[in-house]
Amino acid sequence: MEFLKDFWRILRADKTALVGGIVVLIYTLVAIFGHLFAHVSDLPAGGQAYLKPSGRHLLGTDFLGNDTLSELVIGTRPVMIVGVVSAVIVIFVGVVVGLFSGYVGGFVDGLIMRVTDIFLTIPGLPLIIVIASIIHTTNPFVLAIILSVTAWAGLARAVRAQALSLRTSDFIDAAKVQNLPIGNLIGKQLLPNVGPFVAINFLLAVTGAIYAQVGLFVLGVAPVSGTNWGIMINLAMNQGALYTSKSMLYLFAPMGAIVLLQVALVYFSRALDKLFNPRLRVQ
Amino acid sequence: MVGYLARRILMAFVTIFVVVTISFYMVRLMPGNPMQFLEAQLEQQGGVSPDQIRQQVQAIYGVMPSGPLWQQYLTYVGNIFRGDFGNSMLNPGQSVTSIIASALPWTVILVGVSLIISFIIGLVVGTILAAYPESLFSRIMTGVVSFLSAVPNYLIAIILIYLLGDLHHVFPISGAYSNNTVPGFNFPFIGSVLYHALLPMAAYVIVSFGAWSLAMKGSVTTVLGADYVRAAEARGLGGRRVTQTYIGRNAMLPMVTNLAISVGYMFGGSVFIETYFAYPGLGYRLINSVNSRDYSLMMGCFILITISVVVSNFVVDLIYPVVDPRIVKPGARRTKITPKPEAALQTPEAMNA
Repeated sequence: MEFLKDFWRILRADKTALVGGIVVLIYTLVAIFGHLFAHVSDLPAGGQAYLKPSGRHLLGTDFLGNDTLSELVIGTRPVMIVGVVSAVIVIFVGVVVGLFSGYVGGFVDGLIMRVTDIFLTIPGLPLIIVIASIIHTTNPFVLAIILSVTAWAGLARAVRAQALSLRTSDFIDAAKVQNLPIGNLIGKQLLPNVGPFVAINFLLAVTGAIYAQVGLFVLGVAPVSGTNWGIMINLAMNQGALYTSKSMLYLFAPMGAIVLLQVALVYFSRALDKLFNPRLRVQ
Repeated sequence: MVGYLARRILMAFVTIFVVVTISFYMVRLMPGNPMQFLEAQLEQQGGVSPDQIRQQVQAIYGVMPSGPLWQQYLTYVGNIFRGDFGNSMLNPGQSVTSIIASALPWTVILVGVSLIISFIIGLVVGTILAAYPESLFSRIMTGVVSFLSAVPNYLIAIILIYLLGDLHHVFPISGAYSNNTVPGFNFPFIGSVLYHALLPMAAYVIVSFGAWSLAMKGSVTTVLGADYVRAAEARGLGGRRVTQTYIGRNAMLPMVTNLAISVGYMFGGSVFIETYFAYPGLGYRLINSVNSRDYSLMMGCFILITISVVVSNFVVDLIYPVVDPRIVKPGARRTKITPKPEAALQTPEAMNA
C-alpha cells in the first residue's frame, strides 16, 4: 500500500510520467477491448476508398475503403502482444543468466560472459531479419522469440554486474551462514535487489520489440497478413502513399500511434526509475 | 598490452566463427531450408538430371548437398574464410563476394560519417545540458532529445523522404550518385555522392544524436560531482583546465565504450535507412535478397555486416587504451560501466539508429 502511495505521489509530481502512464494504460485497454468496437474487412468496399476525414470516418479511409481509425484500434492488439511477450522472454533470460553468472562466478561466469559478448556483438536487427525471412511465421509467440534472440544479452551483463556487487554484501553472507538453498539465495535475496532495474528494462524491452517488429512488417520481411501498424505502413507505402496526398493519413496515423506509444513508455519508465531510486526520489 | 590485444583478437575470431556457424545451420538444417527449396524447385522445372541439380546447388551455395554434414560444414567454413560466399541466385554468374564488395563502401561511408557527426553533436549538446541545466537551451533540448530518441529511425526516414524528397524534390531519394557523373576522384562525382548521402545521413543523425546527448549528460553529471574535480577547483586550477582535463576526459570514457556498442546498432539501422533511400549499401542488398529469396546473397550480407561490426569494435578496443591507460595494466579490467538508470533508459533502443 505504501508502495502504491509513493508511486502515485511521484506520478503526480512528474506530469510527463503521469501522461505517459495514462497513454500506456489507454493503449493496453484498446489492445484488450478494442476489437469489440472496431471492425475491419479484407474486402473492398465500393466507392469508400480514400475518403477524407469526417464524422463517420475520423481519420478517413484506406485504399480498400476501411476506416483508418478502426484499423489502428484492431492493429493495437497484435503489436502489444508481441511486444509484451518478447519483453517477458528478454527479461526472463537476461535476469536468469545474469544472476546465475554473477552468483556462481569463476570459470562458468567467464564462459557465460564470453557467450553474452558474442550476442552483444552480432547486430541484432540483421539477424532478426535473416531468421524471420527463413522461418516466415505468422505466430505471434514465435515472432516474439525471434525478436528476443539477441536483446537479452545487454540486460544479462547489467544484471550480472549488480549480482557481483551484491554477492559480497552482508545480507547475502547472513543468508549463507543460515545455509539457505541457492534457489532461495537467488530468488529471495538477489532478485528483489535487481527488481527495480528489471522493471525499467521491461518497459524498454517492450519499446525495443515494437521497434523491431513494426520494422519487420514495414520492410515486408514478416508475412503481410491481418492488420497491424507495421502492415498498415507497408501497404500505404506500397500503394504509393509517398506520391499522393490522398493516403497521407493512412500512412501517418499508424506512425503517430507507434511514436506516441514509444514516447509514453519511455516517459513512464522514468517514473518507475524515480520510484525505485531513492536518490532521485528525494529531489 | 599484448595480452589485451590477443584477447580482443581471439574474441573477434570466435564471434565471426559463431555467425558463420549460425548461417550454415540456417541455410542447411532448418525445416524447409533454402537448399532443399532450391533442389525441389529445380526438380519441378524438370529437364535436368539429379547430377546437374547437385552441381547447380553447389555453384550457388558452394557446398555439395550430399555427403556427410561435417564435411559440408568444413567446406562452407573454409570457403568463407577464403572469401568465397558462393554465387548469387538471382544474378547468375555474379559471385556474392563481388556484389558485396561493391556495396560495402557505401554502407561504411554512410554509417561512419553519420556516427561521427552524431557523436560530436551529442558530446557538445550533452555537455551543455549537464553544465547549464537551467538554461533555456537545455530545457528545450531535453524535451526534443528525449522525444527524438524514442522515435524509430525508419519513421524519421519516411518523414524525411516525404517532406524533402517527394513533396519538394529538394533531395534525390534513390541511388548513391547521379548517373551522369563518372565514378572517380573528380568534383562532380564527389559532389553527387554527398548530395545523395545527405538525406540518409540526416535521418541517422536526427535519430541518434539524442541518445548520445543524454548519455553524455549523464556522464558529465557524474564527473561534475567527483572528488578530484572539487580538489582541482580547490587547488585553484583555471576553469578551462578543469573542464578539459578533469571533466572532459573522464566523462568521455563511458562514451567510448558506448561507441563500440552503437556501431552494431548503426549497421542494423542501416537496413531500414538504406532500403528507404534505395541507397546501394549492404542493408539495401540484404533486404533485396530477402525479398527475392536469394539466400546465398542474404547470408553473405549478414556475415559481412557482422564482420564490419566486429572490426569496428576491434578498432574502438584499440583506441580505448589511449583514452584510458588504466585498462591495459595487469589486473585492471575494461570498465564496463553499469549504466545509471537514467542513461540506460535511452541507450539500448535509441541508439539503434
